Amino acid sequence: MRLLVIEDDPLIARSLEQALTPLGNTVDVFTHHAQAREALQGGHFDLVLLDLGLPDGNGLTLLAELRQRGDTTPVLILTARDGIDDRVEGLDLGADDYLAKPFSLAELEARVRALLRRSQQRADNRLMFGPLAFDAASGVATLDERVLDLPRRELLLLEGLLLHAGSITPREALENRLFGYGDVGPNALEVYISRLRKRLKDSGLRIRTFRGLGYRLEEETS
Amino acid sequence: MPIRRVALVWLLGALAPSLAWADNPLVVEAALDREVAAPLLDAFEAAHPNIQLTFRDHSTLEVDARVADEDNPPDVVISSAMPWQMSRVNEGYAQRLESPEARAWPEWAKWRDEVFGFTFEPIVMAYRLDLARHMLPPKTHADLHTLLTQHRETLRDKVTSYSPVRSGVGYSLFQQDARYTTRFWDLVTAMGATGTNLEANTRSMLEGLSEGRYWLGYNLLGSYAMVWAQSHPEVFVQVPQDYSLVMMRMAFIHRDAPHPAAARAFLDFLLGREGQRVIAGETPLFSVRSDVVGPYTAQRLRDQVGERLYPIPLNASLLAFVDSSRRASFMERWQREFHRLSRPEPSQGEQSTESHIDKFPQR
Amino acid sequence: MIEVDGTLKSRLAFWLLATVSALGVLLLVEAYFSSQRAAERAYDSQLEAAALTIAEAIRWEGGQPVVEVPSAALQILATRHQERVFYAVLDADGHTVSGNLDLSISPDWRRRVSSQPTWLNDSYHGTQWRLYGRELDSAGWETQDPVQIWVGHTMSGRKALTEVLFEHAVTRFVIMVLLAGILMLLAMRVALSPIRRLRHQLRQRDADDMRPLDTRVPEEMREMAETLDSLFTRQREGREALLRFTADASHQLKTPLAGLQTTSELALQSDSPDAWRQALAEVHGSAGRTSRLASQLLSLARLRHAMEASATARIDALALLHETAFDWAQRDVSQAHDIGLASLPASPQYIQGESWALRELLGNLIDNALRYTPPGSVITLGAVCHAQTLEVYIEDDGPGVSSETLAYLHHPFERGGRQDTEGSGLGLAIVDSIVRRHEARMQVESPDEKGGLIVRLFFPYFTQHEEG
Repeated sequence: MRLLVIEDDPLIARSLEQALTPLGNTVDVFTHHAQAREALQGGHFDLVLLDLGLPDGNGLTLLAELRQRGDTTPVLILTARDGIDDRVEGLDLGADDYLAKPFSLAELEARVRALLRRSQQRADNRLMFGPLAFDAASGVATLDERVLDLPRRELLLLEGLLLHAGSITPREALENRLFGYGDVGPNALEVYISRLRKRLKDSGLRIRTFRGLGYRLEEETS
Repeated sequence: MPIRRVALVWLLGALAPSLAWADNPLVVEAALDREVAAPLLDAFEAAHPNIQLTFRDHSTLEVDARVADEDNPPDVVISSAMPWQMSRVNEGYAQRLESPEARAWPEWAKWRDEVFGFTFEPIVMAYRLDLARHMLPPKTHADLHTLLTQHRETLRDKVTSYSPVRSGVGYSLFQQDARYTTRFWDLVTAMGATGTNLEANTRSMLEGLSEGRYWLGYNLLGSYAMVWAQSHPEVFVQVPQDYSLVMMRMAFIHRDAPHPAAARAFLDFLLGREGQRVIAGETPLFSVRSDVVGPYTAQRLRDQVGERLYPIPLNASLLAFVDSSRRASFMERWQREFHRLSRPEPSQGEQSTESHIDKFPQR
Repeated sequence: MIEVDGTLKSRLAFWLLATVSALGVLLLVEAYFSSQRAAERAYDSQLEAAALTIAEAIRWEGGQPVVEVPSAALQILATRHQERVFYAVLDADGHTVSGNLDLSISPDWRRRVSSQPTWLNDSYHGTQWRLYGRELDSAGWETQDPVQIWVGHTMSGRKALTEVLFEHAVTRFVIMVLLAGILMLLAMRVALSPIRRLRHQLRQRDADDMRPLDTRVPEEMREMAETLDSLFTRQREGREALLRFTADASHQLKTPLAGLQTTSELALQSDSPDAWRQALAEVHGSAGRTSRLASQLLSLARLRHAMEASATARIDALALLHETAFDWAQRDVSQAHDIGLASLPASPQYIQGESWALRELLGNLIDNALRYTPPGSVITLGAVCHAQTLEVYIEDDGPGVSSETLAYLHHPFERGGRQDTEGSGLGLAIVDSIVRRHEARMQVESPDEKGGLIVRLFFPYFTQHEEG
């Protein structure tokens, strides 16, 4: 994967480069708007990490230009300002995610991975997370290359969790997916979750419950 | 000659309607001999060829009557009967003249900027050479009184003066004389005692002098007398040395003048330098303006006679002379004084009770 | 926002001009009429004098009045202005004894004159005439019939005199107005000099000079000067508070930075990789704390000093609560804890507020809960509808705080009596500020001996929502 980092602080820029390169990425770092703009026009990138506070202009302008050109390259905004207004504006302009400084490298990596996965999905129409994969076209789910023979609702649940893999899938979204908009009991979803948990046992993946919020498909930490 | 003149006037009057081509007619109603005024009128016509001037020559009282003629008002009214002119102006028959000439005209010779005294005619005594052979000719009013008293019989019927009844000018002069001194009435008594003949105009008196009927005339219009004396060497003119009245011909534009612009042009000409120059040089009417040079100017007269010229004041006091009761009272006194030392002479008609002079022409 | 609305000078000038103009019109009208009256009086007395002069000349002869109109009387009538004149002497029957114009004297006028001398205005041939009539009881040998004397003249002299008098009055008035205007300008300069002095003093002041004003002002400006003084006082206090806060904040930041410095210095002196690793871990933790402290200080500063509240709006508190919980649950820091949402009221609940501040508020409470509880603790957010207020709470099953410490929790740099955990103690102070901004109420309690802490926030409902 080819990543473009636009960051003027040399310490952070170096950290980003060192953190993201081992994940199998090529990282180009620019410290100025103008250079970055040229680079964006010149080549294809799979993800842009954009610092808003650049010496020669606001990063939001660059983002707006990018989206106006119809370029859908995912953009992760980095900023020291955690003002909600910047965040909203950035997302409105077409940013895909937002990370306020200071951030932990682990969180950054997770976000980057998620964004790249989404980028990948768009490319081959397959949902993948760890050993788990789901082909939306054929409706076939595989675990470690083995086809999982799942009932329809479990398949729908798996697809829903895979769509947001790494982050929380809202409970309401899963309920709608499984049961439509009809009234369902509070435990109906939980039944299918526990069935799916059993199937994923010892796969290195687990489904974590967030009370009142939703579920997350995540890799089991050692 | 009067008949010829009247005929000329009538002829002009008859011609007037046929002169319709004249786009700018002007009618002047005047108590002023056309012969005397001829140079003035000629000069005016020369200066204003586009104005067709109709000059009507009448007696003062006729002129006065025509002012009030509502159907056919004249443009300009000229008369030597100063009180009557004044009275007409007071009645509102005049219109104001707004022009540089009118404004520059001396205050003592105009009233309300409506009526203007444009001549300066001294009142004189005239005598025949015969008088000088018998006595020293009079130089003052007192001389005259003395002469009439001392030579009453020699001068019987040889003295002449204006009739205050038949002449407006004469009446005005006697009124003015009476204002200056009460001894005037002694003079009237003395004139009555010598059987003085009272004439209606200066011309009659001058003719009488030339013919030898009269030896001495009192209160003649100096303008006419001086011209007469030039052609009649037997007549001598004496400007009184104590005081000499000065009469002014008064001109105004009629309120209802049909041709006001022409009328204004005429009056401006009369008052202007050119008109006054003609008056001073070619008529014996004497110019009022001090900046005009000629044989007949007020200034030259003053130089000759001294400061004893008393112009009849051109102001509201003139109106008193035409007050009927005042006039009646004056005439009554006149008759009383005139006949004090003489027999009544009914043939003269002077004691008749006529109170109006209107029907008698001045000349 | 200062809006300049004309100058005092022009305002004063306008009012002066308006009053002077109004007064001037009255004065000029009055002046005109009094000029007219004066002219009338002057010329009327001429008429009277002329009538008396004529009266002198009346005699009785043969039972009839006889009059020789004196020239003098006519000249008096004509006046300097050469008026046209009228006179008439009437006998007892109204017949004219003497007269000059056919101006008819009506019987009514004669009756009036018989009782007292009378002045009249009349129109004759389109001209205005002023007439005066008086009756004379003349003694005669035969009769004692009264005689009436009427005189009159045109009115140009009166008009001219009126104009002259009026012109004089106008000239006097204009001069007066000019003088008054000059005096007013001078007076205004003098009267406005305190304002100029004050302006001068304020202009010469240094930007950070907050001392009270030292100037002389008139009574009318006392209030303004005092207001300025109190404004300076408030500014001084605000500045001092800011300086104090900055000093405190700097001190707070210096402490962890000093720790970083010493730790890294020790690590550099050491050759042991173990020591390096331990030092780096300490550096990492300290840097995280320091940057959190900095962002909290920033929030506090923003809350305390952004005096102009940003626009508040109608906010669905439940959606905001859900969103914030969702956000925090995903964060790296909360992975060791069990963050959850209790079941919420079914319908949206609206309050009036600023969403950034409310997010900050909830975020701080969650952050505090994460920091002051051991890993694996359960943190639950929830909301309860009360009659007057909406309660939003956050509950944890951590060790809790002692009741005496609860009271101090809101002060900045207070750590709830504990020095062992990371954190500056700024969190609750921020929370307190935001709560006050939203006119809400906060309640902190430890429910039982075993520990646990519950923070309850009570927000007033959005009023328009309630009414609707």
